[in-house]
Amino acid sequence: MNEKNQNDAQIKDEQTSAILATSTIIIFFAVYWFFQIQSVRELLELAYG
Amino acid sequence: MPTSILGPYTRTILTAAAIIGLLLFSFTYARVSVWIDVQPFFEWMETTWFGVIGKTWGAAFAVVEAVHLIGLALLGGSVIVGEGRILGLVLTDVPARTIINRADKVFFWALMTLLATGVFMACGVAMKIYYLPVYWYKMLALGTGILFHFCIRKPLLQRELEKINPWVTKAVAISSLMIWFTVAATGRWIGFSG
Amino acid sequence: MLNELVYNFAVWLDDTRWSTMLHESYYMYNWVESTHVLTLMVSLGMLFLIDLRMLGYALPDVPASKIAERLGMPMLVGFTVMFITGISLFYAVPVRSAQSVWFRTKMVLLVVCAVNAYLFHNRMNASVSSWDNDARAPSRIRLGAGLSLGFWTIVVICGRFIAYDWFDCDYEQSAFIEFFAGCVDGQERF
Repeated sequence: MNEKNQNDAQIKDEQTSAILATSTIIIFFAVYWFFQIQSVRELLELAYG
Repeated sequence: MPTSILGPYTRTILTAAAIIGLLLFSFTYARVSVWIDVQPFFEWMETTWFGVIGKTWGAAFAVVEAVHLIGLALLGGSVIVGEGRILGLVLTDVPARTIINRADKVFFWALMTLLATGVFMACGVAMKIYYLPVYWYKMLALGTGILFHFCIRKPLLQRELEKINPWVTKAVAISSLMIWFTVAATGRWIGFSG
Repeated sequence: MLNELVYNFAVWLDDTRWSTMLHESYYMYNWVESTHVLTLMVSLGMLFLIDLRMLGYALPDVPASKIAERLGMPMLVGFTVMFITGISLFYAVPVRSAQSVWFRTKMVLLVVCAVNAYLFHNRMNASVSSWDNDARAPSRIRLGAGLSLGFWTIVVICGRFIAYDWFDCDYEQSAFIEFFAGCVDGQERF
C-alpha cells in the first residue's frame, strides 16, 4: 500500500513537471516563431515594398 | 525507495528551477558574460584535429555534414513515429509501449550520430558560428530538447500509460515535435547565415 | 549532341522569368531548399526505419509488413514534397545543376533506388507471410534494405556536394569530367 502510494506520488510529480515543462516550451516556441515570422515579413516588405 | 530531500515534488521543483535558471540566463547579461568567456574555447576548437581537417578538406566536411543529415533523417523519423503514436496518428494498432520503447532506441543512436558529426563540423567553423546568433538559438533548443527528452519525457513515459493523463502525454508529444523541428530549422538556417 | 541538347534546354529554362525570380529571391530559394532538406526527416526517416526493420535493428517486434505499409504513405508524401522542391531548385539554377557531376550522379542513383525499391517491394510482398514476425527478414530482403541504405546515403552526399564548384564547367577540367559533366565547347552560360 505504501509502495503504491509512493508510486502514485511519483507519477503525479512526473506529470506536474511535464505540464510545467511542456507549457513553457509551447509558449516559448510559439512566441519565438511568431517573432521570426514577423521579422521575415518586415524584411520582405523592406525588400519588395 | 528512499524519498528525496525535496519531498514528493522533487522533479517538479528541479524542473521549475531549471526553467527559471534558463530564462534568467537567456534574458540577462549573464548570457553575454558567458559568451565572452567561451571565446578562447572556440578559438581552441579550430586548432584541434577536427578543426584542421574540416578547414583543409571541404570534401571531408561535406561528407560529415551528409552523415549529419542521415542522423537528422533518423532522428526525425523516430520522433515522428514515437510522437505520432502518442498522438494516435501512426501505427495505431501496435501497442504504444512497443513503439515508444523501440523508437527511443533509434532516437538515441541518431542523437549520438548528430552530436558526433555536429562537434566535428563545429570545430571546422568554430569562430564563424561563435558570432552567429542562430547557432546559439540552435544550441539552446538542442539543450532544451536533450534535457526534456531524458529528464521529463523518458521518466514519464516509462510509467504505465493508462495511469498518465492523456492530455499530458499529448502535450509532451507536441512539445517534442516543436523542439526537434526548431533544432532542425535553426540548424539549416546556420548554412544561410554568415 | 546530347550534352548540347541538355545545355540548350537548361539555358532556355534559365531565361524564363520565374527561374530568375526564384534564383534572385530574398527568401524563397532558401525556403525551398530548407523544405527540401528538412523533408528528409519525413521521407528518408520513414525509409530508413523500414530498411532498419528489415535488417532487425529497429522496431523488431512489430510485423515488418505493418511497418512497410503504415510508414509507406508518409514516406511517399515526403518524397513528393522532395520531388517538387528538387525540381524547383533545379529550375532556379538550371545550367549549373544540369552540368554538375554530383547532380547527374544523384539523378542516376535516384533511378537505381527506385528500381531497388520496386524489386524489394515485390520480393517482400511475395514472401512476407512466412517471416513477418521475425526480427530479421530473409537475406535477399536484407540485401535490398542494405543497398537502399547505402544508395540513399550516397544520394545525400551527392546532394551536399552539388554546392561545391570543384568540377564546374567554367574551370579547367579533365576530359573525363568535361564529358561526364556535359560541358559544351564555347558555352557562354554557366
